[in-house]
Amino acid sequence: MKLNERSVAHYATCDSPPDKTGFLFKKGERNTAYHRRWFILKGNMLFYFEERESREPIGVIVLEGCTVELCESAEEFAFAIKFDCAKARVYKLAAESQTAMELWVKALSRASFDYMRLVVKELERQLAEIQDAAGASGQQGRPKPSPRNQVARSRSGASSSSSSASCLSSSASAPSMTAVYSAQKSLQDEVQLISGSFKENGVTWSKPPAASANGSVDTAPSCVTWDVCTDSGVATGCGGDGGRAPPVPPRRLGASLESPVSPDTGCFSKLHDWYGREVEELRAQWLQSQ
Amino acid sequence: MRFNEKELVCLSRQPSEMAAELGMRGPKKGDVVKKRLVKLVVNFLFYFRTDEEEPIGALLLEQCRVEREDTQTFSIAFLDEAERKYLFECDSEEQCKDWIDSIIKAR
Repeated sequence: MKLNERSVAHYATCDSPPDKTGFLFKKGERNTAYHRRWFILKGNMLFYFEERESREPIGVIVLEGCTVELCESAEEFAFAIKFDCAKARVYKLAAESQTAMELWVKALSRASFDYMRLVVKELERQLAEIQDAAGASGQQGRPKPSPRNQVARSRSGASSSSSSASCLSSSASAPSMTAVYSAQKSLQDEVQLISGSFKENGVTWSKPPAASANGSVDTAPSCVTWDVCTDSGVATGCGGDGGRAPPVPPRRLGASLESPVSPDTGCFSKLHDWYGREVEELRAQWLQSQ
Repeated sequence: MRFNEKELVCLSRQPSEMAAELGMRGPKKGDVVKKRLVKLVVNFLFYFRTDEEEPIGALLLEQCRVEREDTQTFSIAFLDEAERKYLFECDSEEQCKDWIDSIIKAR
């Protein structure tokens, strides 16, 4: 099967930031000795070079659909990359320390779009939970008060919480591991997603930091964050602040969207669309309740 | 450069909602338009001869540039070789737009 190898090799060495780099020992296919190679992980591609200074990779392992396991091997700190397809090759690797091994196993397990989908599903589930809770308590889209106090830190678009949801912005580059790591952390912080800021169709939206903000905080396409009125008895909207929401950017037309939990949602762009729409609806509900 | 071909072929069989028969032309001078089943799976674009199980080839979409060539045609080129364009002819303007949008999201 053909592959645009030159461009793939170029991608390996271009200046897009790698998700992880380091030396690992790789077991040869025919020659069963372990060879020390320089590895670069970018998205779901694991490149390996003869030396750190080599200009071209010897090879690449596409990580989509793989599982990473520790393996019993005479070699210390060994782990394996396995695939679920017939006659697939098992890649045996070994790190130079326990810590290095753990870090690589973690990074590689999360490198595929499969993992991204799991993250998205989990965040969707949390979103649904928050919506239900908000609906029940009569406050649309409003998370519990106590975590809100932590939201103040998410005011600036450059906060770490923005990266937690920016992993869902597939319109940017392929999912970076830093974004996925942050997303991982956000799974423990149930409000993180809502209180963070995220990009959708190139527009950055931020949630208001104040616990009882009345207005919406959509941003104009120039990505300026709107100030939010704090609760001072202003009944509706953001009153004198000129706080009418800018028009929502037009949704991209795409294939009709399946249910988010459909197991056939095999395309990340579709999940991204669905998720963006869900966030949109939540925002609209919340606006209406103001 | 070595790559895990079997696993890539396996990946090409995964469900994708962006799969259609398009007219595809390679980047080399003298390449002609051929009907291919083009399928987008994660950040790869696979292309098959119609009704064949195994793809002829795959394009990794990282760092690619997608451009509209005319109302129904789009092209994909890679940053390291901006002049070598793969051309794709769609059946309609809307289909062309859908493909362009999907590929941009996949990069």
